[in-house]
Amino acid sequence: MILAADPLLVDGIDLTVVLIVLLKAGVAFALLLVAVMLVIWFERKLISDMQNRIGPALAGPWGILQTLADGIKLFFKEDLLPTRADRVVFRLAPYLSIIPAFVAFAIVPVGGDFSDGGDGTVSMFGRSTFLQVADPPVGVLFFLALSAVAVYGVMLAGWSSGSKYPLLGSVRASAQMISYEAALGLAIATVFLSSGSLSTHDIVVGQSATTWNVLATGIVPFGIFLIAGTAELNRPPFDLVEAEQELVGGFHTEYSSIRFALFFLSEFMNMITMSAIAVTLFLGGPAGPIVTQRVAWVWPLFWFFLKVMAFLFTFVWLRATLPRFRYDQLMDLGWKVLIPAALGWFLLIATLDVAADLGWPTIPVVIVGVLVLWGGASLLSGAVRKAQAERLEEADRGADETAGSASGLGEA
Amino acid sequence: MLGQYLPIVFLIVLAFLFAALSFFASRLLAPRSPNDKKEAPYECGIIPGREAPERFPVRFFLVAMIFIVFDIEIIFFYPWAIAHGEMGLFGLIAVLVFSLAVFESFVYLIGNGALEWGPIRREAQTGDVVSATRTTSTTVSRAGIRQVGLEGRTGGDS
Repeated sequence: MILAADPLLVDGIDLTVVLIVLLKAGVAFALLLVAVMLVIWFERKLISDMQNRIGPALAGPWGILQTLADGIKLFFKEDLLPTRADRVVFRLAPYLSIIPAFVAFAIVPVGGDFSDGGDGTVSMFGRSTFLQVADPPVGVLFFLALSAVAVYGVMLAGWSSGSKYPLLGSVRASAQMISYEAALGLAIATVFLSSGSLSTHDIVVGQSATTWNVLATGIVPFGIFLIAGTAELNRPPFDLVEAEQELVGGFHTEYSSIRFALFFLSEFMNMITMSAIAVTLFLGGPAGPIVTQRVAWVWPLFWFFLKVMAFLFTFVWLRATLPRFRYDQLMDLGWKVLIPAALGWFLLIATLDVAADLGWPTIPVVIVGVLVLWGGASLLSGAVRKAQAERLEEADRGADETAGSASGLGEA
Repeated sequence: MLGQYLPIVFLIVLAFLFAALSFFASRLLAPRSPNDKKEAPYECGIIPGREAPERFPVRFFLVAMIFIVFDIEIIFFYPWAIAHGEMGLFGLIAVLVFSLAVFESFVYLIGNGALEWGPIRREAQTGDVVSATRTTSTTVSRAGIRQVGLEGRTGGDS
């Protein structure tokens, strides 16, 4: 397989190329800002519909300018710097949050004709290029790296505030985000098995040649990706990071004015990017039927938009439907269910793949694989039960020792 | 090949400029009248009685350490997943042995309670708390009698 590369940047870089690159980066930048504005409005409007309210209705038609009004308002608010804060880090944290949010979208292919063996190139000012800002060979790895940098934004913001709620929020957030990043990474590894490339463009091309990865990887990684992605975004039901009832605002409690706005922006931008990445990895990216040949270039953009909207709708829907997890439930789900499940499924699919290459019969391999997975699962649940029993025993022993002085309350 | 990263550099610069210009605009537009109470750590309006804790539960640290193990495992998986076709049976067996080693230590960690959080789960307590004679109907009818705020009112059960 050829190494992925945007044909625009392969042979030499001259002025036209630089201008096209600038145009693409500028359009992506502007598009993201407008999209975030609309997504915030979309979420508020949709959730008010689900709660039988009207929602924002005054700023612009159907309240569509509400986010813009809020943003402008935040420019005019006083920017406070708490006395206990670590000034340098406190100022740095919003940058660490917003820059990865913008840049992560760069690797998403938003359009281009991938049907009938098309490789998704479009021609722009006489040069052929992909409809994505950049197509580095490390592709998805780049996205994972940026989402890891974003953890620093949250962690440093909470740590540098010098206040208890942000500190608790950020410690929780970092633990949650790294836990679910492991599950996310393992789910994505299954995609690499079927696509054989890290580049997002090649992953989309590979899906148009066969089936979409959601089927090729057997649905389970898609489900894990969705759950882990929701947790990675700190969206409900995994929004323990800013659980209002116990942590006020979580890691951004001490932030006001435009610094707060940047955290808010990056949160919603990450939501768009995560939806777009899910579409790229599992649902064929911009692939879809070209209905009319007259404006053929519109259709891939349209399908991409439609798929991303489905994910955005799901995120809002989850928020309206599910109550928040308790922290121990969150950790249990991540470590004791999602990570082992993703690992087991990855190994099963890999074994099946290699077995098919070697010409081994499928059915015995499947049976042995499932048996091994079942053995692993029972080993794990046995370990969980043992830990719980030991903990209970220890608590009882502690209760017995204190029983002499204070009787009644048995909880240690 | 490094040319492929040019657009990303542009986007980083744009995002940085956006954030920096926003701060600049906010500095020009926002009022500035700080006082002690505004700049104190947030505590729902009262003066904080305690410093922010400098230590946090060691469990979070444990999670970070276990994460590193899994992260390294994932990093080893990616190249193999890309090239698993060429490496054939040898690669598969190597990865299976590697995963087994990681999984086995993970089970050991869990078995020792490294990832035990939250309240202790006990069997449902029966006995002196809930009497055997208490049923749904007795509870509901008892709740019906206990009406609050009716003392001193005459008649009128509406």
